[in-house]
Amino acid sequence: MEKVPENVTREVVGDDLPQGMERRLVHRLLAYWRGLQIEDEFPSFAAIDPQEIPDIWGNTFVLEVVENESDPVFRALGDDIAGHYNVSLIGRHISEVPESSLVSVSVGYLDEVLKKGVPISRGGDFIKDDGTEVLYRSILLPMSDDGETISGILGAANCREVEPE
Amino acid sequence: MKAFEIQTYQDGKWRINSIFDDRELALFEARRVDESSRYSGVRVIEELFDEINSKTSTKTIFRGGRAADLRTAREPDTKKKAATNKPVRGAANRSGSRRTAGRRPPSKKKTSMVGPVILLFLVIVLGGAAMFGLQYFGALR
Repeated sequence: MEKVPENVTREVVGDDLPQGMERRLVHRLLAYWRGLQIEDEFPSFAAIDPQEIPDIWGNTFVLEVVENESDPVFRALGDDIAGHYNVSLIGRHISEVPESSLVSVSVGYLDEVLKKGVPISRGGDFIKDDGTEVLYRSILLPMSDDGETISGILGAANCREVEPE
Repeated sequence: MKAFEIQTYQDGKWRINSIFDDRELALFEARRVDESSRYSGVRVIEELFDEINSKTSTKTIFRGGRAADLRTAREPDTKKKAATNKPVRGAANRSGSRRTAGRRPPSKKKTSMVGPVILLFLVIVLGGAAMFGLQYFGALR
């Protein structure tokens, strides 16, 4: 079901960030998230302007948590993320995402983000249905409508296939 | 299993700021947070979970500029995680005053009386000598 888009390696980032597109994605989005914070409150979705992060917006996704705490719903997906799936994930619960795919592994630690209320980044690998090994990195960022209560998650992820030896 | 927690010092205690599973990511982010001067202290705690013994060991692998000043008094925090556990709904207020807590009080130095006594002695001796000199040279005229 999953296919890696041709433009999966696209990146436009500053030179001062660590090597590796996966790490740079995390730093770019986390820096943007911190920039949206007022004091230490969670940023609001309304404050996000995709045009301010055009280089990474395609790798992001939005989860709605309110009234879906146990199984959040996808409200938006960037083109690069959506390109990994043959069907749209918008409006679907995370439990409906095909296993062993970029998004399913990227939201695997969602409960910890909701519990601790802090940004968390994890990476690892998974095996696609066709047997290809894929390395990935993701980050989940708590968002809020009132600054206090987590109402959604802004996430991002990217990946690269491991060349068979 | 390893985890790297960035912790920031706020309102008199360390709070979890963000969590990574990658050391380089955590250290880079910690330096950026530290350079922002937003918090009075920044540190990175490496947690190593031994799945065989179900034990977690921790050590501090980074201290921000001002976090070093907090080291002596706050070191026990590295043994046990600071908790910011926040429920999904109805969470406590995260905002609060910054940069005020946790500063080390200025050290008090003992004041020595030897210096002032010597100074007073010199003033008396020199004053007496001056008076003696004035009388001596006045008598010569």
